[in-house]
This record gives sequence, C-alpha cells and structure tokens, in this order.
Amino acid sequence: MDEVFKALADPTRRELLDRLFERDGQSLSALEAELPMSRFGVMKHLRVLEEAGLVTTRKRGREKLHFLNPVPIRLIHDRWVGKYAQPWASALSELKRDIESEDER
Amino acid sequence: MSEEQAYTVVGGRGTMTVFEIYIKTTPERLWEAITSEEMRARYSFGVGTASEWTQGSEYKSGVPGVVDIASGENLEVDPPRRLVQSFNALWSDQVRSEGTTRVTWEIVPVGTSCQLRVTHDQMNDDANSELFGGWPMILSGLKTLLETGEDLDTPGSLRYSGAAGA
Repeated sequence: MDEVFKALADPTRRELLDRLFERDGQSLSALEAELPMSRFGVMKHLRVLEEAGLVTTRKRGREKLHFLNPVPIRLIHDRWVGKYAQPWASALSELKRDIESEDER
Repeated sequence: MSEEQAYTVVGGRGTMTVFEIYIKTTPERLWEAITSEEMRARYSFGVGTASEWTQGSEYKSGVPGVVDIASGENLEVDPPRRLVQSFNALWSDQVRSEGTTRVTWEIVPVGTSCQLRVTHDQMNDDANSELFGGWPMILSGLKTLLETGEDLDTPGSLRYSGAAGA
C-alpha cells in the first residue's frame, strides 16, 4: 500500500494514469509523445507505477503496451470507506445518482 | 498459445482492459471461489454464477427472478490456472447492445499468494464502461473473502444479496 501512495504522490505519474484511463493499452512511445519529458523519464515513472501494481503490461509483437490497473486504488477505497463511511457514502452516492439521473432527463 | 497470439490489442479504451490483484491463497481455493455459485455471490454484488464448468458448457450469472447479469460459454477450462469465457452482459439494454465480449481469468502462484489477472477484451472500440467497470469491486471483494472469510460491505458491494428472498 505504501508503494501505491508513493506512486500516486507524483503529478507526472497521475498524468500517465489519466492518459491510460482515456486510452488504455499504450506503448512507451505513444505515452512519451504526449508528455514534455525524455523517454528515460517516462520509463522511470512507468516502472514506479508498475511496481505499485497501478500499471500492468502486455506484449503485442515487439511492443509493450501499458494498461491502467485500478484495483489497488479500489483496495484503498474499500479499506477506509468500508470501515468508517458506509452509511454516509451510500446515502451520498444514491443522492448523486438521483441528481445525475435528473440532469440527464 | 502464447500471450501475443492470445490477445490482439487494437487500442482505444474499451477494446481490452486488464485487472490484476494479489490474493493470499492457493490456486485451488481461488479457482473454487471463482466457480462456486455461492462463493461467487458473496463478492459479486450478491450475484451467483451457475455452470458445470466444463469446456464448452454454458454459464449464467444472475439472481433468479430478480435480475439477469450475464451469460456465455466456457471456452477454455483449465483448473486451477485458466478460464476463458465469452461474456454477454444482460443487465440493461445499453450493455446488451454491446454484444459478445471475452473474459479471461488467469491464476499464477507467487510465493504463498496468487496473482489473479482478469482480462476483459474483444469489446467495441467505444465500449460502455459499465461493461468492465465492476471488476475492481468484484476483485476487491474476492480478496477480502479469501483472506478474511468475510464479505466486503462497501456501498454497492452487496446490492443484490438477499434479493431472491425478498
């Protein structure tokens, strides 16, 4: 869990996760092209994200593709929300849903 | 079949998502938790999955008389390591219109734990995120169940529990 917090404590790494959320399964070259940073810098950040389990990789031919793995963040959420905030959180998420579904109409 | 052959990634959110989690358990117990209708219900919003779990058999997920969640075929059944299923989401007209996708469960022992990897792929390029959005909660609940014997009770986790009796 320490690794997840450490990985999330850096704005560039959060930016990388945002990019993968928008478009999952990207290569290093694709991610590098979007950020004002050296290939080595992006690689270093990706490695920290991988070690924290927030990014997982798959090979496609010679390319290594990066995928967002949101499960560790879910575990952090469940650990605290489940313990302390359940009645509040469920009431709030219901309220949010009601409001949003009204907006959609 | 190598990993490269098994997955054709086209790119774009929605074609393929990968979820990974480490669980302190054995491959056998993890396999049982995935394929037991009762255990499955305890970490999947209260929804059980019934099947004979043989290659080519069908499966159905839902709460009888209350809600249908998914159905499909068990394309590859290799206990306790690998399960490949076709996946038809059934819980709304929107997800139904997404058609048939594929879910692959892979269990890799790591020390005294297991890595579980769930790959949901063969989805439309702009697939509805509801299709795969439930996996983190399901996997978190599975970990809680196997490691503590208790149900995860965060908001939404047990949405359909007890619904059949109600």
